[in-house]
Amino acid sequence: MLNAIWAIMIFAGVITALFTGRTKEISDAVLASCVSSIQLIITMVGAMCLWTGVMRVAQKAGLVDKLAKLLRGVFKFIFPGIPKDHPANGAIAMSISADLLGLGSAATPLGIMAMKELSNINGNSPTASNAMVMFGVLNSVCIQLIPASILVIRQQAGSVKPSSIMPAVWITSLISATTGIVAAKCMEKRGL
Amino acid sequence: MVDFIAGFSVAGVIFIIVIYAYLKGVPVFDAFVEGAKEGVKAAIDVLPVMVGILAAVSILNASGLVDILTGLLKGPLSLIGIPAETVPMLLLRPFSGSASLGLFTEQIKTFGPDSYLGKALSTIMGSSETVLYILPVYFGAVNVKNTRHAAAASLIASYTGMLAAIYICRIL
Repeated sequence: MLNAIWAIMIFAGVITALFTGRTKEISDAVLASCVSSIQLIITMVGAMCLWTGVMRVAQKAGLVDKLAKLLRGVFKFIFPGIPKDHPANGAIAMSISADLLGLGSAATPLGIMAMKELSNINGNSPTASNAMVMFGVLNSVCIQLIPASILVIRQQAGSVKPSSIMPAVWITSLISATTGIVAAKCMEKRGL
Repeated sequence: MVDFIAGFSVAGVIFIIVIYAYLKGVPVFDAFVEGAKEGVKAAIDVLPVMVGILAAVSILNASGLVDILTGLLKGPLSLIGIPAETVPMLLLRPFSGSASLGLFTEQIKTFGPDSYLGKALSTIMGSSETVLYILPVYFGAVNVKNTRHAAAASLIASYTGMLAAIYICRIL
């Protein structure tokens, strides 16, 4: 499906540009995007090293296992395919905790590490397992408790109470997370 | 309080983990370097995926398609209570993190952060992710070609959330 989405994005963009006369703009934009990819990845290499390093420290201290045990009840339902003592449990627990705490820089590195553990269980197959799809869906819905960067922008825009959106954010996150879990569970049964 | 937690969380988490591990006798720096090595490889694996995604998104953004689609969709969507002003955000949010953040910063100044639209847009931003960036990066990092129902389920969840935000802010 990602292949189709990618092709459609490029197709739709180029055809539109032919009609709107923005052909030079899209050519410039696509070249500029390569530069931003490199800038992004350079920022990410650092964050990635930092968090995979800290993660290893936490692992050796036994903190990751403790966290995994704490979340085991929830995981049993959401990720039924993961063996009880597999390192994937700890990796997912760390990743989801980072999401909840709003550690933006840690979320992607820890998420990728968890995805690697899940891929190991799946025999590194090119086809995603149910657990991998579920983990991808959980990361695509935003489950942070405090949307810090949005609150800062609200404050800068002159809000009298930036945090007034928090209840709405929590309810919305809960709705989209539940929808995602249910949708993923339903679709895996249909064998799509 | 919120500001303190948000500002301190990164340093706080590192502090707790490192001090706890050190007291437990873990060779903390050695462990850190060992783990960090894996991070380099993982980040490099992601680079080609990132170039591909950002290229497609940049073409889409620069083409003016969002403006055209907004014009086409705002009529029908207003019938189900979706304000026309939120349509560009609904179109951009799953595709482009930087474009949606830019749009948000601009729109919140125009509408005011404490107005209904300001709150609805803030809630959308605070409770959604860039789905079509996250999925390719996560699956690309482990060389998965067939992502099955991941994109469909994620987009369903994302749009349910965004529409819910628009309705919830009307009540709250």
